[in-house]
Amino acid sequence: MDAIVLENVTKSYDGVTAVNAVSLKVRCGAVLGLLGPNGAGKTTTIRMIMNILVPDSGSIRVLDELVNDGTRDKIGYLPEERGLYPRMKVLEIIVFLAALHGLTQAEASRRAKEWLDRLGLSEWSDKKLIDLSKGMQQKVQFITSVIHRPPVVILDEPFSGLDPVNAATIQEIMLEMRSQGSTIVLSTHRMEQVERLCDAICLIDKGRNVLDGELRAIKQSYGKNTLHIEFTGSDGFLNHPGIDQITRLITGVEAKLKPGTEPQEILKAAVLSDAKITRFELLEPSLSEIFIDRTTRA
Amino acid sequence: MRKILLIIKREYLTRVRTKGFIIGTIIVPLIGLGSVLLVVFLVGHTATQSLRIVIVDNSGQLAPAIVHGLDGKLADGQPQFTVEQIVSRPASLDDLQQDLRTRINGEKLDAYLLIPQDLDQPFELHMRNPDNFGLIGPLSKAVDQAVISSRLEGRGVHLENIQSLLKGTDLQLLKVSETGESVEKGQGIAIAISLVVLLYTALLMYGIITMRSVIEEKTTRTMEVLISSVRPFELLAGKILGVAAVAFTQFAIWMTSTALLFSFGILASLGMTRNSPLAGVHVPISLVIYACLFFVGGYFMYASMFAAIGSACSNEQDAQQLQWLAMAPLVFCMIIYGVILNDPTSRTAVILSEIPFFAPVLMSLRISLQTPPAWQIALSLTLLVLTTVAVMYASAKIYRVGVLMYGKRPSLVELVRWLRYT
Repeated sequence: MDAIVLENVTKSYDGVTAVNAVSLKVRCGAVLGLLGPNGAGKTTTIRMIMNILVPDSGSIRVLDELVNDGTRDKIGYLPEERGLYPRMKVLEIIVFLAALHGLTQAEASRRAKEWLDRLGLSEWSDKKLIDLSKGMQQKVQFITSVIHRPPVVILDEPFSGLDPVNAATIQEIMLEMRSQGSTIVLSTHRMEQVERLCDAICLIDKGRNVLDGELRAIKQSYGKNTLHIEFTGSDGFLNHPGIDQITRLITGVEAKLKPGTEPQEILKAAVLSDAKITRFELLEPSLSEIFIDRTTRA
Repeated sequence: MRKILLIIKREYLTRVRTKGFIIGTIIVPLIGLGSVLLVVFLVGHTATQSLRIVIVDNSGQLAPAIVHGLDGKLADGQPQFTVEQIVSRPASLDDLQQDLRTRINGEKLDAYLLIPQDLDQPFELHMRNPDNFGLIGPLSKAVDQAVISSRLEGRGVHLENIQSLLKGTDLQLLKVSETGESVEKGQGIAIAISLVVLLYTALLMYGIITMRSVIEEKTTRTMEVLISSVRPFELLAGKILGVAAVAFTQFAIWMTSTALLFSFGILASLGMTRNSPLAGVHVPISLVIYACLFFVGGYFMYASMFAAIGSACSNEQDAQQLQWLAMAPLVFCMIIYGVILNDPTSRTAVILSEIPFFAPVLMSLRISLQTPPAWQIALSLTLLVLTTVAVMYASAKIYRVGVLMYGKRPSLVELVRWLRYT
């Protein structure tokens, strides 16, 4: 079964098409990376899934039900624009938002304490939100998005502003939710996180779905066309006509090959030059390269 | 409905628990009451002692009549004046005056009255504080009485006879209404003006509180989370009802404490109630009911207008420019209400009080002055309810679009366009 299905969804504001005929399926239990440049239409898409905005045309289903006010309680949402009532106490605000999602006060309060404990915020539960650091506020907001144990969770840039320790904690919680069968939509610009966490991706650019599917399949479809070369000495061999594009790294270079170029040709050229090769490896393209490739292709 | 209740509860509790609420509801009225009581206490205190005077009678005949006239009593039953000495035709006036002045400066005497030899000449009252009206008023009256009486007796007429002849009568005012007649004590106008000020202030104050509350949710970005779990209409309704509950609490506290103050006789014990303009104020219960009905209608109309304005703005500065849309009709009421006060039945008064945006203040004012025909009240109330529903509907539409909009303040044209969004 699919957790989220978008069919031909279009939304425009005052003549500007923010989302243009987007179709997308998110399989139950998968982690989907929702990618795209700034202003691509990601937030509008998420808001339509949350039934905050209504599409001009097309349909959206969540867990086999057309989106309505009821489907929203099945989704946990961490918006990119974060903020909670600054003058409310931490525990009160979590309980209030959990109660809005249908939990009883007692149950909400019990779970809130558990979560605060787990994220190391117990001693802050009676403090006003405004007295917390930005990272702590972020964790409180994360709690509010998952406390009602929603089968679907949408997290918009969940790691921004978190230190590595806290980011790792949140990542651990996400993987735990995935193993319990939750479906997670992760919207982010950080490609290394997507590579580490996501089963599938959807790349949106200028309101259109330009690429979607299982991450592994996408990478394979690009083929192994990237060379990772580490060397010392002259880099003259990189002018080989079979190399399409070079990304310089601290330790070496990544060279994308033109179609039809054999890696051996480059190796031969390198050996013949006066460069000393210390590493020569054929790789799948990184997600960043795929992202840049797809979004800059006119 | 459950969600609306949760929102009302949060709105109410977070508002009632603030320092601002406690200060506004309890401390400010207490300071006001305290200062009134202090003034009453101080004013009462100055007159609690008899005033010591000496009468220097150069005519040698008027002093007893004046003493007779100084029969006023203080609140505790003591005489208002103590005539310490009457000096009739002193041998050396200068020496005597010198002595009296010394006594006044030494605070052994409060004043001395100098009666001229010729009673047509001015009398003189010497005292340390010539602004003491408590002393001047009764003394001047006693002197007048004594002089007139002496002149009349010179012509063979006794003052008592003349007084009974010249005694006027009181014109009692009676207010005629459908429910019968009642004695008018001149409080009608006071009640009417108080009512106008109260309604205006309450509508404006609670409207602006609602608007601020909406803006706060936008500026703190709490809105995004809220509207992902409740519908904008539920949020709007919860907010308006929550602020209404706060208003109700505030009024209940004020009313109860006022009632308690009166019943415990705190004011009465200070001798305030007997003479104060508040004594025996009678507000007809029908007026209270009508004013409440019009207030509730007006509150929902204005609060939803203010909420819509708040939703369209991203910060308080923008809101200050747009809030005039909702404030203008209320301010107009404050400018125009004098016209209705002068003639509550004029055509202008009738028309203005039927217009829904003015009705909450102006119809209440008319009812307090002179009960208008039932059909006029009914029509005004019906129009108010219908307009309130329409305004709430439109506000909810603007609100729904507005809460997601950040950035530039929308123009009026844009607001109208938002109404057509689906």
